[in-house]
Amino acid sequence: MIATTPRGFKDVLPEEARVREQLNKKITAAIDLWGYDPIETPTLEVLDVLERGSKLDSTAFRLFDGDNKLLVMRPDVTLPIARMVASRLGNEDKKLRFRYNLRVFRDSESAKSHSREFTQIGIERIGAKGPAADAETIIVFVESLLASGLEDFKIEICNVEVLKKLLEACDASEEFNDAVLTAYHESNYVKLDEVLDAASLDAEISACIRELIRIHGGREAISRCRELLSGYVREQVFDELDKTYEIIEECGYAEYVGIDFSLLSSFDYYTGLIMEAYAPGFAKSIGGGGRYDNLLEVFGKKAPAAGFAFSLERLMHALSVQDNLALEPKAEEFIDQDDPEAFKKAMEAHKKGITTTIGGAR
Amino acid sequence: MAQVNVKRKPLRIGVPKGSLYPDSLDILEAAGLPIQNLRDPGRQLIFREDGYEFIILRPTDVPTFVANGGADCAMCGEDSIIEANMEVVEMVDLKYGGCRFVVAEPAEAALTIDDSYSRLGVMKVATKYPRITKAYYDSIGTQVEIVQLHGNIELAPLCQMADRIVDITATGTTLRENNLRIVDDVMNSTARFIANPASVRIDDRIRNLAIKLSEVVASKENA
Repeated sequence: MIATTPRGFKDVLPEEARVREQLNKKITAAIDLWGYDPIETPTLEVLDVLERGSKLDSTAFRLFDGDNKLLVMRPDVTLPIARMVASRLGNEDKKLRFRYNLRVFRDSESAKSHSREFTQIGIERIGAKGPAADAETIIVFVESLLASGLEDFKIEICNVEVLKKLLEACDASEEFNDAVLTAYHESNYVKLDEVLDAASLDAEISACIRELIRIHGGREAISRCRELLSGYVREQVFDELDKTYEIIEECGYAEYVGIDFSLLSSFDYYTGLIMEAYAPGFAKSIGGGGRYDNLLEVFGKKAPAAGFAFSLERLMHALSVQDNLALEPKAEEFIDQDDPEAFKKAMEAHKKGITTTIGGAR
Repeated sequence: MAQVNVKRKPLRIGVPKGSLYPDSLDILEAAGLPIQNLRDPGRQLIFREDGYEFIILRPTDVPTFVANGGADCAMCGEDSIIEANMEVVEMVDLKYGGCRFVVAEPAEAALTIDDSYSRLGVMKVATKYPRITKAYYDSIGTQVEIVQLHGNIELAPLCQMADRIVDITATGTTLRENNLRIVDDVMNSTARFIANPASVRIDDRIRNLAIKLSEVVASKENA
């Protein structure tokens, strides 16, 4: 009988491991240029503590330790970093830039046969807000994907404030708000229309909620949204989003960034900018992120923050379909072990940076 | 917009075979798509037309194809979408293919079923749709054991394998012919236009098609 791995876990054999290593190196170098420091958090966290930040419903593993604490294998890295910054770096009001490359563990009922272990590459920037901070997050995201060799992709962005403010203006029941949020979250236009048809709502605001999910495009989509929602959402939200987009345009990355107000993340801690990255060749989002200005406060320190993360495995699928997943060639030499100077020769070659192996006659 | 690579690829549209097939072709044609060759498909499963690739799918497999990127978008019964519970963007209610999800039981059985439920504490229900069935019985607080079948659901209560069935019906004829009567409505279902969440954000043609389809639906309703 073949000894199998647990469901949703896999081995990484040398060729794949080398591709992963090469990608990691290129992506890390790109992020590092923006001044982000590496960071690691533990594989296990206390569930209660993380759940202060967000409800966690797709965790793959929960277990009790000897102290009777309910632990969880981290389902994301943003929450642990927020916890760490708030508790470990509490009193220093520093501006922090972190990058990470860590495994996360997730499970979902609808994807029983899929992976439960993912490699997340991402950044978190703490202590900064405003269009420049938002733009930097998006630009580092774009450059990470470009550095990996991905040529065709789109990072869709929007601001969750817009829908939140619109719902506040409705002044409707919590049930109605939940139904609208669920429809947005499931990208279910039909359900959204049904919810709005059933509610006794001011016709104008109802039309706004109906229309918002359909607004997408480039920078002009921001103006369209501003026009549609004037009176419901304060101008500043659109000014900032527009300024963010302007910086992206100036950097020459407008072709990679789109506006899409149908986005709604499954993590409920986002407060402003949110983003999702899509690439032809992969059927789901390959990563995402956003701004979470209230998250650190629940762990004990108030500070604005934003970040993104993407799955290395999903990126590799997209690269493979786009024919950009190649192993870089490497010079290799072989020395027969019977050669009396085998080790000396190998060490000479190593000094020149040439991979050299010693072994029996081939 | 970084859509150069996508534009080269034809848009792949899933069309469910079976009862939704003729109406799906009609609405695609009304939206201006070249579907003539699909009218008499024979055994062919893929049709390549100018800028489009149509694939003919088993109705219950449509969400799987769309969620996993096998098709960019598709026509699909709401029942299949709910049963599959996958990540797809539900864009337009196409209004055709209407059917009811009902609970049915043998015409003379009501008393015995209630009796046995109160003694056994569990009811056996046969269905092709375990997910919808479970959600329905959870919502009314009845504990059930679900027997999943792939067709001829009516047989299950007639063979004493289940007390009741949950199935779709358009007219109720099959149920009556098998001496089953409807005891409750679970939900109504119509055909939907669905899309892959990544494709819809990368490829504008899907949103444009969705707009055209909703215009066709609206003009039919007003006609």
